[in-house]
Amino acid sequence: MAILEVKNIHKCFRDVCVLDGIDFTLEKGEVLAIIGSSGSGKTTLLRCLNFLERPDEGQIIVNDKVIFDAESKENTSEAAIRKNRLHFGLVFQSFNLFPQYTVIGNVTLAAKLANKERLKELKKSMTNGEYRKELKASEAEIDTHALELLRRVGLEEKADAYPYQLSGGQQQRVAIARALAMTPDILCFDEPTSALDPELTGEVLNVIRGLKSSDRTMIVVTHEMEFAKNVSDRVIFMANGVIEEMGDPKEVFENPKSEALKAFLSKALDSEYAQEDI
Amino acid sequence: MSLLDATLQLLDGFKLTLLLFGLTLALSLPLGLVFCFGSMSKFAPLKWFTKGFVYIIRGTPLLLQLMIVVYLPGIAFGAPITRWPIFGGSVPTAYFCGALAAFVINYSCYFSEIYRGGIINIPKGQYEAGQVLGMTKRQIFFKVILLQVIKNILAPISNETITLVKDTALARTVSVMEILFCAYEILTLKNIIWPLFYTGVFYLVFNTLLTLLFGYIEKRLSRFRS
Amino acid sequence: MKKFISILLVAAMCMALFVGCSNSDSDYKYITDNGKMVIGITIYEPMNYYDENNNLIGFDTEFANAVCEKLDVEPKFQIIDWKAKETELKAKNIDCIWNGLTVTEERKADMDFTQTYLLNKQCVVINKKNESKYTTLESLASALISAESGSAGETAITSEEKLKDASYTGSDTQQTALLGLLAGNYDAIVIDYTMASATVGQGDYADFMIVESIELEDEMYAIGFRVGSDMTEKVNKIIDELIADGTLAKIAEKYDKTELFNEAVK
Repeated sequence: MAILEVKNIHKCFRDVCVLDGIDFTLEKGEVLAIIGSSGSGKTTLLRCLNFLERPDEGQIIVNDKVIFDAESKENTSEAAIRKNRLHFGLVFQSFNLFPQYTVIGNVTLAAKLANKERLKELKKSMTNGEYRKELKASEAEIDTHALELLRRVGLEEKADAYPYQLSGGQQQRVAIARALAMTPDILCFDEPTSALDPELTGEVLNVIRGLKSSDRTMIVVTHEMEFAKNVSDRVIFMANGVIEEMGDPKEVFENPKSEALKAFLSKALDSEYAQEDI
Repeated sequence: MSLLDATLQLLDGFKLTLLLFGLTLALSLPLGLVFCFGSMSKFAPLKWFTKGFVYIIRGTPLLLQLMIVVYLPGIAFGAPITRWPIFGGSVPTAYFCGALAAFVINYSCYFSEIYRGGIINIPKGQYEAGQVLGMTKRQIFFKVILLQVIKNILAPISNETITLVKDTALARTVSVMEILFCAYEILTLKNIIWPLFYTGVFYLVFNTLLTLLFGYIEKRLSRFRS
Repeated sequence: MKKFISILLVAAMCMALFVGCSNSDSDYKYITDNGKMVIGITIYEPMNYYDENNNLIGFDTEFANAVCEKLDVEPKFQIIDWKAKETELKAKNIDCIWNGLTVTEERKADMDFTQTYLLNKQCVVINKKNESKYTTLESLASALISAESGSAGETAITSEEKLKDASYTGSDTQQTALLGLLAGNYDAIVIDYTMASATVGQGDYADFMIVESIELEDEMYAIGFRVGSDMTEKVNKIIDELIADGTLAKIAEKYDKTELFNEAVK
């Protein structure tokens, strides 16, 4: 069963159309890599999925449920958007950690706020003591879960550090744990290693590779061709706002059909050899 | 005149200085936020009205604004502030409240610009990170943005606060009997000058306390870096 | 912290002592050696003010020019903050205060006065629309009154038994008191006669009037020199000469002060 269906997404900024009809589906557990030169619309596509941009046309369907339809007035309230965007998680190129919170604070903040909202609803039927007890227990659970996630990204011992005390690679790993804390169905990465020094990209890519499992679906926008080739189950090559080629990574990388992809690959591989990555 | 006499007499005026300072600060810090939101509003008329108001207040002397508040109601509208029922016929109360209003409006405008600078300096990514984690706009502002803004604006706010302490001396021109008014009174009545210079000690001691307080807050906020 | 405060206190007191010290040398020699006398004034019609050509004129301006001519020094008019006149005098920023200066017992501790040359009265100024309301001191008992804080006008009000229940508020300057009256913040103000006659009925103060039926304490104008200065005696002699040859009477006539001048020097 397809976990995600993206249908005919269009997005224009004034006169410039960045997405010009995007269609694809994603199976549960699949890792999709999106490649393409800058300006091809990859980032905008991820931002549309995460409701940071509103597509002008098209539908987004998760688990057979339409969570976005440009034609319909449904799902446009702030509350609906908040609820629906939690199907997705997003790891930013520039991490965007909250500087005033510790590592564990970053990972638990949103979950604790959502938990408080949930308990507030129940508060009417509870005494103050019960409420406090319930709050304490649920927050302890959130903390345990967060520590578990930090162990997954190899940063358990940095739980009480502040973001500025970490390297770029460590900050990005915290950002990954933070996105996982909201248990999204589909985790998106927007060029997660582009802001990092070359020697730090490896640790982040290894973490992403380690997340691959039968029930975690991921979309990775990346410039790391080797990574796309070895880790992804499917590759989309985007150019000028459309999907130029889509298919099995081996097929896409070894047998490019369009001229645009051929040109892109030769250029990308050149620079990758120069960097001696992965 | 003994040091103790002068200290007691000046302290009487300094109480009014502190009252004017404290009330101005307590009212203009939140009002500044209102002006700030107004000048950043997406509703164009509100935005330009607020911006124009802030422009006028920041572009004219506080001394002039004090005189406008205290004299204009009487001269232009035939409603002298000393006759306003809310002041219960007390001239000093009327003048103090007039001066307070001028101070609050003036400082709110300065604070609003400081807030605006602090808010626009927060990277867009901070809002977006909160959004994709499912936080509400309110939660993002209060739990993510606010503390970073406070850290950003602490230095200019502490500057303005210390300036405010000294600016209260202007209130003497509209008969608010703050510490300098008292010192001048001693000068004209007893022809003794040194209490006038001695007022500097009061300002300095109080500003020292404020500086220590702001230093403490700054230290508390230095645990993180943007 | 305690130590810090005490250091500040000592510093402030030292400053006060320093300013309090005065020079015992001959002031006459000091001024004639300089070739000029620095005269502390404020712009105050009709004593010292600018005419339409921006020339400094006025009773005290012409009076001072005449005296300086006899002393053979150049007069240099220095605008000062009236509140700080004693400080300016002691610090030798100015050599004398000559600007409708009222002789008071308190001021004698800070300066020596020459002989008096003009009478000044404190008078009550009100808005014409209240003409029939405020005619006596008693009628002012329920009014909002102001005068320049620390001025002779203030003393006239606070020392007046009949006004002890009136609502009195000090103003920063006489001009501030006039503004307060204009705004209706006050019902009546007390300013000196010279100031009143120069302002009442003029410009925006057209609707003001002096309440002639209320008499307050009189005062006299003189020139103030530094305490112990030998200038006082020298200038007194010159004033005698200027009275004798009619020069001063002419100046008084020019500025409509003949009556007040005659009262002072009779």
